[in-house]
Amino acid sequence: MDDRTRRYLRGRFGDYYRRADVPLPPAANLREWGHIPWTAGSGTTMVRHQSQMDLGSLDDFLERTAPRHAYFSAARYRDPGASTMSDKGWTGADLVFDLDADHLPGVDPDAATYAEMLASCKEALFRLLSFLEEDFGFSEMEVVFSGGRGYHVHVRDPSVRSLDSAARGEIVDYVRGHGLDVDDVITTVSQAGTNQRVLKNDGGWGRRIHRALLELTADLQAADKSAAIDRLQSFDGIGSGRAETIYGAVTRNRAAIKAGNMEAGGPGIRLLVRTLAESVVDEQNAPIDEPVTTDVRRLIRLPGTLHGGSGLVVTSIDRDDLDAFEPLSDAIPNRFVGQEITIETAESRTVELNGDKTKIPQGVSTVPEYLGVFLMTRGEATKAPEPT
Amino acid sequence: MRPLFARYPFFEAAREAVRSADVDLGTLVNSADPAVDRAHERVKRALLEGTAASETPEEWTETQELLSYPIARILVSLVDSSAAVDKYAQAEAKTAIERLEADLAAGDDDLRSTDTDRLDRDRLLDELDLSAAVTPDRSHEGAGRQRGEVDTTRARESDQFWIDLGPYLKLTSAEWRPSWKLVNREVWDGRVRVQRTELNRLLREAIAQRVAEGLPFDGLSREDPIATALSDELSDIERLLSQRTTVEEIDFVARELFPPCIENLLQKAEAGTQLEPFESFSLMAFLTGIGMDPDEIVAFCADASLDPEGIRYQTEYLADDRGTQYPPPTCETLAAYGLCHNEDDHWTVAGDPLTYYKRQLDERGDSVTDWREANA
Repeated sequence: MDDRTRRYLRGRFGDYYRRADVPLPPAANLREWGHIPWTAGSGTTMVRHQSQMDLGSLDDFLERTAPRHAYFSAARYRDPGASTMSDKGWTGADLVFDLDADHLPGVDPDAATYAEMLASCKEALFRLLSFLEEDFGFSEMEVVFSGGRGYHVHVRDPSVRSLDSAARGEIVDYVRGHGLDVDDVITTVSQAGTNQRVLKNDGGWGRRIHRALLELTADLQAADKSAAIDRLQSFDGIGSGRAETIYGAVTRNRAAIKAGNMEAGGPGIRLLVRTLAESVVDEQNAPIDEPVTTDVRRLIRLPGTLHGGSGLVVTSIDRDDLDAFEPLSDAIPNRFVGQEITIETAESRTVELNGDKTKIPQGVSTVPEYLGVFLMTRGEATKAPEPT
Repeated sequence: MRPLFARYPFFEAAREAVRSADVDLGTLVNSADPAVDRAHERVKRALLEGTAASETPEEWTETQELLSYPIARILVSLVDSSAAVDKYAQAEAKTAIERLEADLAAGDDDLRSTDTDRLDRDRLLDELDLSAAVTPDRSHEGAGRQRGEVDTTRARESDQFWIDLGPYLKLTSAEWRPSWKLVNREVWDGRVRVQRTELNRLLREAIAQRVAEGLPFDGLSREDPIATALSDELSDIERLLSQRTTVEEIDFVARELFPPCIENLLQKAEAGTQLEPFESFSLMAFLTGIGMDPDEIVAFCADASLDPEGIRYQTEYLADDRGTQYPPPTCETLAAYGLCHNEDDHWTVAGDPLTYYKRQLDERGDSVTDWREANA
């Protein structure tokens, strides 16, 4: 980044912070703080191991420093300013999830637009929230647009704070569906003297698989018999004989299927469940970035600050507003709206921002400031002198 | 004193009973009270046989039984090995759960009796601060009952329970069977469903954590009067332990101090040569033996020809039962495979790679950094 662009951005980030009111996270005095300044050169050096005392008032600090990126720790420490991790005295950490458009299966970062990637990411976020809210019953959660390529969720329920990295790994495996073994999801219960296999469906992946099974059986019942048999035979390992048996069971004994009975329909039903389980995991897992969740000492972007690679606000979103949230409009800082600036780009490009698709020609052009800041922070444009 | 305390001496009320009984442990130990003998047996049986129960329960009074617990804790502290503390705590917990199961079974047969001093599950849950976290689940029993609805008038226990997610994760371990993995459980609204036997396994872990709390005692040294008074018992325990394991637990990674055979194997793997099964076993057993977990070994061997999946499989197998790892082969066996050449005549000081490494650490450990610190 050239000097003119960097000086401009640093100045405007400072202007943003002069007006912004960045809220402190809970227990701010127990957290470690870090930031990356607007230094010259390509290297990025993070300044970390700072306590709130080292910063002084957060608003003053942000205004004074106008950092390119600002972070705080998920962890709480007895002495957050200590320079080594062992001296800090870890006392607990928020449980943090990171969904990054770069890591979404089925999304090609080279082919998809930024807006498309963020839309897929939001779908994954809803899948993640279904685990966090329904399965885990978490209530103290903050959902945040990262300002870049995805979303963060900070869980602050007291029950999760003391979990170690291995326990958090179990949570990661759960939401990703890693290590799911259908043999462990089907249990044997003794009923009236006989052993019976049952799909555990009062929670967990068993419940999700069971729901998919019920949807499938409802479809089978609604279809005419030959179509239903064809559908069943499309599953691995299910030939005409097994398909007949399963069809008979689901049409005659739907109550048994509803109760999770894995005997009705013979071995075929268990084969069916096995195949269904794979597709349920593929469709419903949340592809979170594992190390972010298992690292109990990680620094995370501070909501309310600017992302130095987009000029967008790291935005905390009310759960009720999440559905309607449009990152590429709602995260634009008001400070950068309403005036125009002059920039220069090496190649022409189309940018989707604030509800508009703007074509930027190669060379010097005048654009809304938020658009200019967006391109400059991404390294796709430089600041050009304003015409006098 | 209640008989219950003798059988569950880790209870807060039992510890309080010891405190308020105005007995001085130092005096007990110096006067060679029978409680000391029982403590000696307690630790010995815990470490070697995995039970805290006496072989001859009729020999001891309830008071001796109760007092043996705090003395046993002193003894275990003096053994000074985290593996011993761990094993001792597991044994105490296993015994406590066996007693709980017996108490519950007796309670079922004998509902009206009021003069017994038995433990029930609620009391144990309360003791372990798990009352709020564990709820019986009767949704699958009888008709009309809702999940989570508790019927305290019923004596017979529920077959299933719900336990809060946080405690579940803190009490299970990734080393346990895959059926314990959260992904394979019924999880709903912040709770995990467990069978009654599974709950007992979790409670056993909670008791082990309770017993291990504060062990080994800070600031207790072998020069303290109470320690010298226990020196006979201590050396007996250590003698028995040394017949079992040859090397104290190591938890330090300094490649510059590795024995030549291990260093050679690492270099060979880093040069891209596939290790023979015996070679990779020796390497993994050594790395596991010096306290590295599978993740660390994968990171440590990142530049080598070893594939991470293979490393994980092998090391998990090596460490499958806590504290009883398979040690790497001896120098003699390694020599038979051409891996040890008795460099610097090291057989005179150490007969196996772990002992060799331990000696090196004792001599030069101060001048080197743990690889895990450097790469944290």
